[in-house]
Amino acid sequence: MPGFEMVNSKVVKVRLGSPVIARRGAMLGYTGDVRFVPHGVPGGAGAGGLGGLAGGLARRMAGEHEATMEATGQGEVWYGFRGSHVTIVDIAPGQVMLVEADRLLCHDVTLQASTAFIGQGGMRAAVSGMMSGQGLFTTQLSGQGSAVLLSHGETFSLPIDQSRNVAVDPQAYVAALGQVKVEVSAKVGWREAVGKGSGEAIQLRCTGSGTVFVQASEEKL
Amino acid sequence: MTEPAPLNPYTLPTDDNVNPYAFCVDLSQQWFMRKGAMIAYYGQAKFEALAATSMAGFVATRFSSPLYAMDWVVAQGQGKVVIGDRGHDINSFDLEAGNLTIRANNLLSFATSLELKQSIVPGFLTLYGTGKFIASSNGPVIFAEPPMRVDPEALVGWADTPAPCHHFDAGWMQSFLGMAANSMLGINSGEERQMDFVGEGTILMQSSEIMSEDPAVVRMIESQLGGLGTGGLQRINHVTAQRLAASQQ
Repeated sequence: MPGFEMVNSKVVKVRLGSPVIARRGAMLGYTGDVRFVPHGVPGGAGAGGLGGLAGGLARRMAGEHEATMEATGQGEVWYGFRGSHVTIVDIAPGQVMLVEADRLLCHDVTLQASTAFIGQGGMRAAVSGMMSGQGLFTTQLSGQGSAVLLSHGETFSLPIDQSRNVAVDPQAYVAALGQVKVEVSAKVGWREAVGKGSGEAIQLRCTGSGTVFVQASEEKL
Repeated sequence: MTEPAPLNPYTLPTDDNVNPYAFCVDLSQQWFMRKGAMIAYYGQAKFEALAATSMAGFVATRFSSPLYAMDWVVAQGQGKVVIGDRGHDINSFDLEAGNLTIRANNLLSFATSLELKQSIVPGFLTLYGTGKFIASSNGPVIFAEPPMRVDPEALVGWADTPAPCHHFDAGWMQSFLGMAANSMLGINSGEERQMDFVGEGTILMQSSEIMSEDPAVVRMIESQLGGLGTGGLQRINHVTAQRLAASQQ
């Protein structure tokens, strides 16, 4: 199991044992004998599991896709992306991480990636999902391993359980870990329709038990 | 939380960081500064374009780069100058009879005791001699040792190592050779190209960033057009038109 290690607030380092999947263009440098292969495309080495051809196609259709590269071999690899802050999250068996594809820097190959639908609640929520720019789909990671999140400014975590849930601004939301359900909740009335709303009508409501990762910024990556 | 004490000419640091994102230099010595790096100053400071300075002879011996000369000024006089760069981390480094090569976009200022030359690697500048220089980076600078390969966008500079080569991923090279080779030139969107460092020394890295356009690149291309014949110029014209059309879509 490779372990991610913070180099500074914007860069992580990993000593490869098993492969690592990372967003294309996120590799900063490496030592040793490392090969980089496009992941989840035909002919690539990493076309297995849910991240394979069918999974990749489904994710591309959902607009929930970033080209990824698989690093294999022996050595150390540094990852970072355009000066965004990084957060390392360990995922235990049974836990699920929900994260927007463009907020995922890299993760262990032992984690399975798939696409989850969050736009439940009928047509109304579907419309608001588009309005929030959040999309109706999100990337879901499960299994055992670590993943690294990207954020504008450092993230902070909000624990939730049955007794307390949390609503997050869609632009400030980064990821959710545990058994968390993320739903687009909206009170869209005529004011929003004519552009005179409070600007806070659309929120992501996170329920269940686990942790929600939030950034103190509304800047999209 | 207590408010930070206001800074005045006496409490501003001398040739040191004000905070991680701002640096203050004392004009008791002259500094070369990149245009736009100055954010504030106390005292009687003069910023003279290299072409218009009263010390043209001295400048010519220190600043040996026609490509970058118009992007830089000499700061002199008396007082203190605060410099910054887009909120990036700023650090100073001391060279002692050494040499260090740095990306032109990351170099903000250097003491006139240092000598500047253009690196063989396009977009990079080399400093020689003894003195202080000030550089910005996206996140703190990471120091690493060769043998190592670094993404071009993550490379800040290098010291004491031999100049790097380009390394292309073997798999990418194979598919490149199998395709119409020309059509792929100029594509570097992924992990296929790295700067390869060997030997002894130090490599400086940062988190990658969206490269701001280096004005010197345009001048460099222009200066090389002189060696082309009609066929070559037509070819450049054709490629430029294609890229323009693609970028306007």
